[in-house]
Amino acid sequence: MSTLMAAAPGAPVVELDLAELRDDPYPAYAELRRTAPLAWVPSVGRHLLTRYEDIVRAEKLPEVFSSREEGSLLLRTVGPNLLREDDPEHRRLRAAAEPPTRPRQVRDLWAGTFERNAHDLLDRIAGRGEGDLIGDFAEPLAAANLAVVLGLRNASADDISDWSRAMMAANGNYADDPDIWLRAEQATRAIEDAVAEMAEAARREPDGSVISSMVHAADPVELTEIQNNIKVIIGGGVNEPRDVFGVGAQALLRRPDVRDRVVADAGLWKRVFEETARWISPIGIYPRQLTQDYEIAGVALPAGSRVALVIASGNRDESVFERADEFDIDRPHRPHLAFGGGPHFCMGAWVARHEVSALAWPLVFSRLKGLRLVEGADDRMEGWVFRGLTSLNVTWQA
Amino acid sequence: MPIVIFELPDGTQRKVTADSGTVLMQAAVSNGVDGIVAECGGNASCATCHVYVDERHGELVGPPNDVEDEMLDFTAAERRPTSRLSCQVQVSDALDGLVVHIPEEQV
Ligand code: FES
Repeated sequence: MSTLMAAAPGAPVVELDLAELRDDPYPAYAELRRTAPLAWVPSVGRHLLTRYEDIVRAEKLPEVFSSREEGSLLLRTVGPNLLREDDPEHRRLRAAAEPPTRPRQVRDLWAGTFERNAHDLLDRIAGRGEGDLIGDFAEPLAAANLAVVLGLRNASADDISDWSRAMMAANGNYADDPDIWLRAEQATRAIEDAVAEMAEAARREPDGSVISSMVHAADPVELTEIQNNIKVIIGGGVNEPRDVFGVGAQALLRRPDVRDRVVADAGLWKRVFEETARWISPIGIYPRQLTQDYEIAGVALPAGSRVALVIASGNRDESVFERADEFDIDRPHRPHLAFGGGPHFCMGAWVARHEVSALAWPLVFSRLKGLRLVEGADDRMEGWVFRGLTSLNVTWQA
Repeated sequence: MPIVIFELPDGTQRKVTADSGTVLMQAAVSNGVDGIVAECGGNASCATCHVYVDERHGELVGPPNDVEDEMLDFTAAERRPTSRLSCQVQVSDALDGLVVHIPEEQV
């Protein structure tokens, strides 16, 4: 299959400015859904598919919308990995890596440590009365928890965060900045060393972690495969829980009526989580490449065409979600697309749900009394490939 | 080919023909039966294809497998003794006339 780096004949061409997308992609997506639900966007080098129903259809046809994208930024950053494979290869790797992320394992093996990690971080800041809930809490928490699930006892939360940031930047490096590539290479080499060491340890003594599970998989997995897949998980595993935490916390702090209800009824945290992931999806797009000619959204795409499934846009589709731009935990339930669908359904979904909605939010809102946003703080929402708050400045009673 | 019946929470029934050798979830999805979300496409990792097998047909369908059993503890609607993930139920001629009930919520 050759890669087509151009618009399919008949596809509308829409110019979008990357800086504007990073600032706020939602107005552009709304326009695309209305006027060009499949459009070639030169600055992205892909066709953007923006309506809910079309995205769901594409996700359910992995044999047509292949994850094996040539020239993918992720491939370049981390090497071959399960996110850029199709079944049966994808299934082999996923089966090896997945057991430690299943919900019962999360509850029985990891929940205790997650809770301790959250308390430790809160102990450290509680007396201060002010802080940045992203940098001081959500990011180090996500990184520390991830180190535990992966089995990277030889890495600190700061290592994990730094590695993740370096790789995520490369993965969204549509502007091809050489410094970004260099930093990502340094990070991936460090991860390879750390994984090799822990894989050796897990071979002698299994510990239930992802590395251990891959080392002992029934269907054997090579060390390089373990290394590359751990890189991918470090990429997504920090920013997704961090971003859902931040965006949801900010939404609640702006809506004290909703916050009071949720604090009084812990069963509602689940809904806050799903609605936050719908409203501002931490991952905005998934790249796909066509294995055969296929018509979607009224455009005949030739085999080899590059498509981005814009799940951030599908999650704001007015034909599915009424007043889609509003954060509303009471909206009639329709499944959102934030975790992706089909065989690539997010492997970290259960980990993130537990660490954010069962632990992080409830602990922060119960331990930091009088929690409030700092007025006038420059807490920016940023990104379109990945999107979240860069900071969340708050005060509370010390 | 067996006919299976999906009963929606409001009591309406959808009769669909299921292909032997596939799974119950596929029969629901390919016939557009509401209420079976099946986010993970049948990999027993999302718990959004939950069904209650009708009491009369419990033995016919049998118990959940291990991975499924774990996932069933985390369904959006309550787990019952007859709960199954429809993506883990193989369709065969023996299931002709099977009735399954779709829960209120999947996510
Ligand atoms: S379709 Fe996901 S568990 Fe059945």
